[in-house]
Amino acid sequence: MNNMIEVEKVTFEYPLSEDHTIKALENISLEINEGEYIALIGPNGSGKSTLARHLNAILLPTSGEVRVYGFPTNAEEYRWEIRRRVGMVFQNPDNQIVATTVEEDVAFGLENLGIETSVILERVNEALELVGLFQLRNHAPHLLSGGQKQRLAIAGVVAMRPRCLVLDEPTAMLDPRGRREVLETVKKMNRQEGITVVHITHFMEETLEAGRVVVMNRGNIIQNGSPEEIFNGKIDLHALGLEMPTVPKLVRMLRAGGLNIPENVVHVHELVSFLC
Amino acid sequence: MLIETKNLAHVYMPGTPFQVEALQGVSLEIERGEFVGIIGETGSGKSTFVQHLNGLLKPTSGEVLFDGHNIWTKANNMRKHRSRIALLFQFPEHQLFEETVFKDIAFGPRNLGLGGEELEKRVRYGLELMGLDFKLYKDRSPFNLSGGEKRRVAMAGILAMEPEVIILDEPTAGMDPSGRRQLLEQIKRLHSEQNLTVILVTHNMEDVSRLAGRLFVFSGGRLVLEGTPVDVFKSAETIKEIGLELPPLTELLQELKKSGKDISTDLFSVEDVGREILQLYREG
Repeated sequence: MNNMIEVEKVTFEYPLSEDHTIKALENISLEINEGEYIALIGPNGSGKSTLARHLNAILLPTSGEVRVYGFPTNAEEYRWEIRRRVGMVFQNPDNQIVATTVEEDVAFGLENLGIETSVILERVNEALELVGLFQLRNHAPHLLSGGQKQRLAIAGVVAMRPRCLVLDEPTAMLDPRGRREVLETVKKMNRQEGITVVHITHFMEETLEAGRVVVMNRGNIIQNGSPEEIFNGKIDLHALGLEMPTVPKLVRMLRAGGLNIPENVVHVHELVSFLC
Repeated sequence: MLIETKNLAHVYMPGTPFQVEALQGVSLEIERGEFVGIIGETGSGKSTFVQHLNGLLKPTSGEVLFDGHNIWTKANNMRKHRSRIALLFQFPEHQLFEETVFKDIAFGPRNLGLGGEELEKRVRYGLELMGLDFKLYKDRSPFNLSGGEKRRVAMAGILAMEPEVIILDEPTAGMDPSGRRQLLEQIKRLHSEQNLTVILVTHNMEDVSRLAGRLFVFSGGRLVLEGTPVDVFKSAETIKEIGLELPPLTELLQELKKSGKDISTDLFSVEDVGREILQLYREG
């Protein structure tokens, strides 16, 4: 099966007052393929987080359907099957820590599944190795840096062996080092472990790692394409409250000025090697 | 000199096993009307430092001077001091609490003893500086505003105190690109038009390099670098060692220079850098 997640004509409404409802999602359809890395962008209030919370049945559609590996999210009997396959990481790392050591924190989810201790240990170690926190396994989570805390949150999800990782602004509160650590970890999960990634972000630079960029506005998906297509200057990003990442913006200016630089140059080092 | 710290040190929980030396030997000066940036890793002491400037934290040793006077002498009225040098915390919208935008913004000035017309004038002033229409917003509940609006209302509340200095701790965290751009533009205008002294604490090297005249770089509780953005980012090795990064355009220009190109490294906007590169390649 190619489509691991299918979002079909999903509308989500919530009540604002007794006689008013707000449509946070309006008739949205999206297919997410196994192994994809999708960046989900859009202004505040455009529905990104609401959509993300539909992908593992935290929220259920008012109308329409979301299917994960064919399991509809609104059928209660499949909910655990779905949540085991699609894990979520949120913005604030401090709200996601539950235990007093790094190791126990990662084990928490597995213990709740009633898995054998030896298997739990194996999976915890494996997950901590993957995110680069194995050496710190006996540390207290609250003493970790922001980047380490977010990687711990990712390890907790990865230990459940999900097929898809949904990250809602995982780097918003981190310093540059922390951001780099988290981005590299997410990339590794996708490239090396084949885990599908849906990454919500306000940092346009971060979308350049994605294979596909989905742009939302006012509860609708309004663009859906490769980073090159989204940032080639044909879409008015300003009108959508967004902007071009710095390097593509510069490349566009240099191309307009007559320098023959390929459109797919998006990183500083690529531009340097092209100009030297 | 408007603000001066002398050998400032702060120890959290001294004399306990949890003792942490959060600041050590920080001496710096900020002049009236400056726009300075403070950068450093999480835990480097940035927030601890700025909380000393408006007297939220008392130095373990060393001094904080405002307008030449030690702020911790008995003669200093701390409440008044805090209205002159205002600190906006991260996610300030979490601190909105009143029924209406008007009441929320009026809270600070009212505590300064203002009322009546003067109070309304202050609320108007705060809202207008943040680009929010007084009539449109004054009676709304702060809780029904968008995230960006809430943040601007929180900032309006600070500005209504008519401070001389504003300290902003990550004011754009979690905002979308256009909200971020707008807020930064407004901060820039407050600096240039109202002659406010601005102290911006941030993780965004690109924004701070464009906005600030001088940068202070913290690492492990110490001030490790200071100077113009150009000078500070020339110490690329140190910047990377302490967990920070160069703004992408600065990195590009430095790399081009290293490989022998005759190019200026003190440009911070895409437009300027683009022109510089085009000129270089047209001549070459």
